[in-house]
Amino acid sequence: MIEKYRFLASDFQKEEQKEMVILSIISQSFFQPFSIEDNLLVILTALTSGSGIGFNRAMLFLAEGEKLRGEIWLGPSSAEEANFIWEVLSTPGIGYIEIIEHNRALVSRGADSLSQRIKPLVYSLNRQDLQIPALAAARREVMLVREARNEAAVDRPFLDILGVDEFLCIPLFSRDEVLGAVVLDNAITRRPINFSDIKLASLCGLIAGNYVSTASLHKKMIEMERMAALGEMAMFITHQLRNPVAAIGGFTDQLLKSPNDEARQRRNLEIIRKEIKRLDDVLYRLAHFLKVDMKNELVPFDLPPVLRSVLRSPDIRSKSDGYEILVRFEEPFPKILGDPTYIGEALRNLLDNALDATPKGGQITILGHAEGKSQAAVEVRDTGRGMTPAVREKIFQPFFSTKEKGMGLGLLYVKRVMDSCGGKIEVESEAGKGTVFRLSFKSAEEERMEA
Amino acid sequence: MKKLLIVEDEEALCLLYKEELEREGYEVAAVNDAEQALKALHREHFDLIITDIRMPGRDGVELITQIMGQRKDIPIIINTAYQSYRDDFMTWAADAYVVKSASLDELKSKIKEMLNP
Repeated sequence: MIEKYRFLASDFQKEEQKEMVILSIISQSFFQPFSIEDNLLVILTALTSGSGIGFNRAMLFLAEGEKLRGEIWLGPSSAEEANFIWEVLSTPGIGYIEIIEHNRALVSRGADSLSQRIKPLVYSLNRQDLQIPALAAARREVMLVREARNEAAVDRPFLDILGVDEFLCIPLFSRDEVLGAVVLDNAITRRPINFSDIKLASLCGLIAGNYVSTASLHKKMIEMERMAALGEMAMFITHQLRNPVAAIGGFTDQLLKSPNDEARQRRNLEIIRKEIKRLDDVLYRLAHFLKVDMKNELVPFDLPPVLRSVLRSPDIRSKSDGYEILVRFEEPFPKILGDPTYIGEALRNLLDNALDATPKGGQITILGHAEGKSQAAVEVRDTGRGMTPAVREKIFQPFFSTKEKGMGLGLLYVKRVMDSCGGKIEVESEAGKGTVFRLSFKSAEEERMEA
Repeated sequence: MKKLLIVEDEEALCLLYKEELEREGYEVAAVNDAEQALKALHREHFDLIITDIRMPGRDGVELITQIMGQRKDIPIIINTAYQSYRDDFMTWAADAYVVKSASLDELKSKIKEMLNP
């Protein structure tokens, strides 16, 4: 027998230990699509509300290179406000969006007063005589400061802004990095900080450090992936442009060197014109690929006429010369949902590939049929060289192509079009025998039934 | 007269290289693919080979290695649109690597360098 549990903040009722409630709220907030700042705010809130740990105010410093910089100071103007906030946070069934809205409102309300006041506070993390809070951060130690005015490690501006003599400083760190520090005090209630407060605050500090480091690693990773994709794209485009540019440059130089050879002039200009057309094609295909609008409205339309006009278009017609192209649509073929222009382009891409893969004299078949009441499928079959499993795995990757002059965007384009109309694309292929691309569309009949 | 073998699948570039290098005073044989290149190498002697590399998946670097296997001690220049092959160890055996550009100057001076060390 298996019993399943999913813990939500609302499962932790007020009679539960407050530590449990706090940790549950904090850890669940990490799974929400919040910004780092928002999540840190949740932690600060946990530290500062009456039914939470109950500190009056929490000051957040974050490391930036070798410096610790004041970022957020969360402090309700009164104890009532702090209590109210925590009440809201521990209300059963409350959504995280509300919590975050609350925190944001609180911070922006305090923006003029509290947070603004600590923005000028900057502490070096690598000098000899470290000052609080950099001292606690760099040493990775929790520090309770009492009689702060007599303490050499607390500087005057800090003390003036804080205005209390007793406060707790907890470090935020990961395995190899100092990430920041949180300064906590009880400026309003003047309640002395006790051992259990320190334990719980330290635990929150560990969690926050862990979170900040994971979140920033994640951010770095996404950035790196993006850069890599961009690099790949730039590389591919330079390849595509280099051959025509080399030809244009070379033949232009010839023109400049021998201005009197008329026959050659004409020939060179024709070559240059042709190469410029290639450059143009590269740009067209790129622009075209980038243009698919995912939010396009889906309209019911008849596919066969769209297909016919693709087959009649000059480029497909001249390319399909010498091939046998069969089109068979089973009746009745329902109207399908999508954007006719994009779907036409998708079919053109598939046909273009099929023609490239199949030797002259080969056969290409386009079959259409309804699938149940709500779907329709179109298959483009060729009798060409097929794909190896290794190639098949990569066909939807951007800039992957087996064609010398391919951009590696065609099938990705088809996939994006299919995604945008709620359909799907499947492929079957055997090296040496041929390939089948199958597009499944939602049909308009389904739409009517839903309406 | 020094004899060059050019392997270049782009027709326009093939013509350009042939004309330009003949003007420089070389005897030039230009072919469109590696098969023809292998045949030519079998048939006659060349002083220098200039070859393109094409995309992986079709004939990429492997055919270059075949040419290299046949060339004995003929110097070889890789002349290509793909900058990335420069780091491919298969191309290290080449004597020079030229990335195609709008000017033929680099290619021409590399050829001179190779033939008059």
